[in-house]
Amino acid sequence: MTAVVETEGLTKFYGTRRGLEDLTLEIRPGEVFGYLGPNGAGKTTTIRLLLDVIRPTSGRATVFGADTRDPRVRARIGYLPGELALEGRERARDYLQFLADVRGGVSRGRIDELAERLDADLSVRMGELSKGNKQKVGLIQAFMHEPELLILDEPTSGLDPLVQQEFLAMVREARTAGHTILMSSHVLAEVEHVADRVGIVRAGRLVAVEDIAALRERAVRHVELHFDAPVPKESFDGLPGVRDVVVQGASLRCTIDGRPDALIKAAARYTVVHMVSAEPDLEEIFLTYYSEEEGRHAHAGA
Amino acid sequence: MPTLVRKSLGEYRRALIGWTVGLCAFLGMYISIYASMMKDPETFSRQAIAKYPGAFRDLMGGMTDIATGRGYLQAVAYQLLGPLLFTMCAAILGNRAIAGPEEAKTLELTLTLPIDRRRLLLERWAALTLGLLGVALVTLAVAAGASSAADMDVPFGSILAAHTGLFLLVLFFGTLTLCVGAAFGRKQIALAVVGVWGVAGYIVETMGRSIDAISWLRWISPVHYYLDGRPLYQGWPYGDYLVLLGATAVLLMTALLAFERRDVGV
Repeated sequence: MTAVVETEGLTKFYGTRRGLEDLTLEIRPGEVFGYLGPNGAGKTTTIRLLLDVIRPTSGRATVFGADTRDPRVRARIGYLPGELALEGRERARDYLQFLADVRGGVSRGRIDELAERLDADLSVRMGELSKGNKQKVGLIQAFMHEPELLILDEPTSGLDPLVQQEFLAMVREARTAGHTILMSSHVLAEVEHVADRVGIVRAGRLVAVEDIAALRERAVRHVELHFDAPVPKESFDGLPGVRDVVVQGASLRCTIDGRPDALIKAAARYTVVHMVSAEPDLEEIFLTYYSEEEGRHAHAGA
Repeated sequence: MPTLVRKSLGEYRRALIGWTVGLCAFLGMYISIYASMMKDPETFSRQAIAKYPGAFRDLMGGMTDIATGRGYLQAVAYQLLGPLLFTMCAAILGNRAIAGPEEAKTLELTLTLPIDRRRLLLERWAALTLGLLGVALVTLAVAAGASSAADMDVPFGSILAAHTGLFLLVLFFGTLTLCVGAAFGRKQIALAVVGVWGVAGYIVETMGRSIDAISWLRWISPVHYYLDGRPLYQGWPYGDYLVLLGATAVLLMTALLAFERRDVGV
């Protein structure tokens, strides 16, 4: 199957400032790709390059196998800008209708259906929309023509938690329909429940692409065990994947990387009365990536 | 009508109505004063006019025949204030095509529609042209109506010729604003270019025509091609108007090429 989005050595400099350097990435049909990185890392630059709003300094990018310069490609994309600006006296519904007309029309009632799901008021003039409502109008226009590729730049910013849930449901539905989704975020928590893969970009460079499942496997977990009697610390030293072991009388705290198997087997020799295991914190691995990259760069530079 | 032209016209509507009302009020009021001035011919006698400094008279187009219908209409409506106000209108609308939406960051979403940039720019320009044409037609009716009501004795054909020149001049400046905006994405730069070229062009064409050192600059002043043929007196200066049209076409081509190549919104 051909990739929906494919970039090769995609590079963008703004004058001498690096926006994105040497991005080679493939987004496969039907996947949800989380594009992660701190603000200013190059996420929006990548997205704007894919939509031909800005032009690459070098390298190339294709969407659905066609050059991004081809305007017809954009009819198959739904796009939510990171900094969505809506202005003027026009009512939101009329603006959505205009966008729908230019994209070749949307099915009847689709706009109202989405507005109802997201609880958006479309009778408001665009310049008077609240931040949250603006974001809703942005989501409606991105989803309304049921595009084969959704490119969403920080989609959940400004949405309250209930609407965020509805939004994630819409993303899942789009994936079920076989559509491809590229969504950016600066926090992993926003995408980890829907994304199949994540790419981590930092200072204009893609530093990692990972399966969410694999990432979860390697997740860092904090575990607390309580026994019926004090346990010797030595029994838990040197267990594979177990670190930061602290024993205080009958309780033990530690951090495990990946599988908890070794720890469970070691603990099984004693009587466990209580066990607490926090949800794997993907954010933490995400940050480890950053620091590892940092270290590697520093090393290479030395 | 193409969707984008209709949409742009909708965005211009309030501004267009405002400027049309303003320009009509200006024309109607100034032209209707003519009748009362003629009752007191002393105001515009040669002696009275001669008291004005020569440079000022040059700036106002000479004012030698201001006591006649043609001279008055030229001096108050078509010489300085009419083109000045109408050009401001054109520049403001021209900035709404690209630079305004780009600064407001609303252009980004428009660009991601399945429309190529050339069509986007052409349709915005078409809306600008249609809008200015609408203002020109309404103000033409008011100018012709008011001057016949004031017994100015200027044939409609002469007013039409002068008004066409006015439209071509403001279309040039509107397109210039759009072009600079399309190339740089900044409203201020576009307004600065229009302001400097317009004002300098006007001064060179009026006060500067008798100063040898700068009179050659008239050839690059758009105002020259509007004023020099004296359409209110001599009818259609076809050649001059074609120059204005041609220059507008060149600006439009430049805008297309510049906008096609540029990163938007950075």
